[in-house]
Amino acid sequence: MADNQLDVRVICGSLRKGSYNAALARTLPSLAPAGMALRPAPSFDKFPLYNFDIQHSTGFPAEVNAWADAIRAADGIIIVSPEYNWSIPGALKNAIDWVSRMKDQPFKDKPVLLQSAAGGILGGSRMQYHLRMSLTSVDAIMFGRPEVIVTFAAQKFDEKTLELKDQAAIDLIKQQLAGFEKFARRQIAKG
Amino acid sequence: MATLNVLTICGSLRKGSYNAMVQRALPALAPEGMSLKPAPSFADFPIYNADIQNSTGFPAPVNALADAIRAADGVIFCTPEYNFSTPGGLKNAIDWVSRLPNQPFAGKPVALQSASPGPVGGARVQYDLRKSMMFLDAFTLNKPEIFIGNCAGKFDEKSGELKDETTRGLIKQQLAAFAVFIARIAPKG
Repeated sequence: MADNQLDVRVICGSLRKGSYNAALARTLPSLAPAGMALRPAPSFDKFPLYNFDIQHSTGFPAEVNAWADAIRAADGIIIVSPEYNWSIPGALKNAIDWVSRMKDQPFKDKPVLLQSAAGGILGGSRMQYHLRMSLTSVDAIMFGRPEVIVTFAAQKFDEKTLELKDQAAIDLIKQQLAGFEKFARRQIAKG
Repeated sequence: MATLNVLTICGSLRKGSYNAMVQRALPALAPEGMSLKPAPSFADFPIYNADIQNSTGFPAPVNALADAIRAADGVIFCTPEYNFSTPGGLKNAIDWVSRLPNQPFAGKPVALQSASPGPVGGARVQYDLRKSMMFLDAFTLNKPEIFIGNCAGKFDEKSGELKDETTRGLIKQQLAAFAVFIARIAPKG
């Protein structure tokens, strides 16, 4: 990573291989401004379901620590997630719940950006507004606009390669990522 | 009148959970003709991944919870609030069963309760759950709402028994209202 380049981690809220949101997350590095390097966060797919008794008896699982360390070390976080049942996917919420219990809580004062893709007309927006609320509780600093809400996802990704091919969405994401770089630099006063 | 079979789901997995204490208090506060029992646990559900569902199908514990919900006349959630929202473990359970054919919450009467040590008593988790339940076509009871705020002092420290009389009275009212609600929404045939 070049000096002064922001180190941004991308978290995908879906675990399935063919996920539109994973496809969207893979698109981001090519759309990011030069000042920002994007890479995926470690997976949360091996996190146990949160139970305080686990935390209290055997401590935080290694996977949880790895995820938290990656978030702490990052200059910013991008969460790209589907909406499940009008809200945050339980798996993603479970991951947030785990790290929220840590002493050096990793989302604190962290610049965070949201994106979602969904098959329907609302594009996962209900999930985004709920995630905003939840991340308020962990003192994240949420980026405002532009919002990236990829509606009718099935029409916007290549059927075979899952590449994002919708030019309007591509342009909006570029604009959002450029805005996020400025936002994150202001928050962390890095360069 | 036939007995109403109501399933109770606790959103917390820890043994000393206040919400599990609330769940255990319910049978004694139920109106005549309502029987309450705890749902099978979601503690062993894997983290939801559509690829699991498509390759090896729905895990047995997921089917067990779904069957119990389908067979019940109503469902009551007793849950804490995590980070201003639904605990990930509970949401993961809802996400799993939401993908089943014959989705178990469809048309199901649901009531919500939450306890927390803070002043708000878990109100935010309830409004998030209402939203998810709406999407799943459940019918969620409006009032009375049960938010057990500052809950630490409301349970017996040793036995975990709910000892706050105001709360007990309110829960009685809610359960009675839930019985009426079930009779209206999904009368037993």
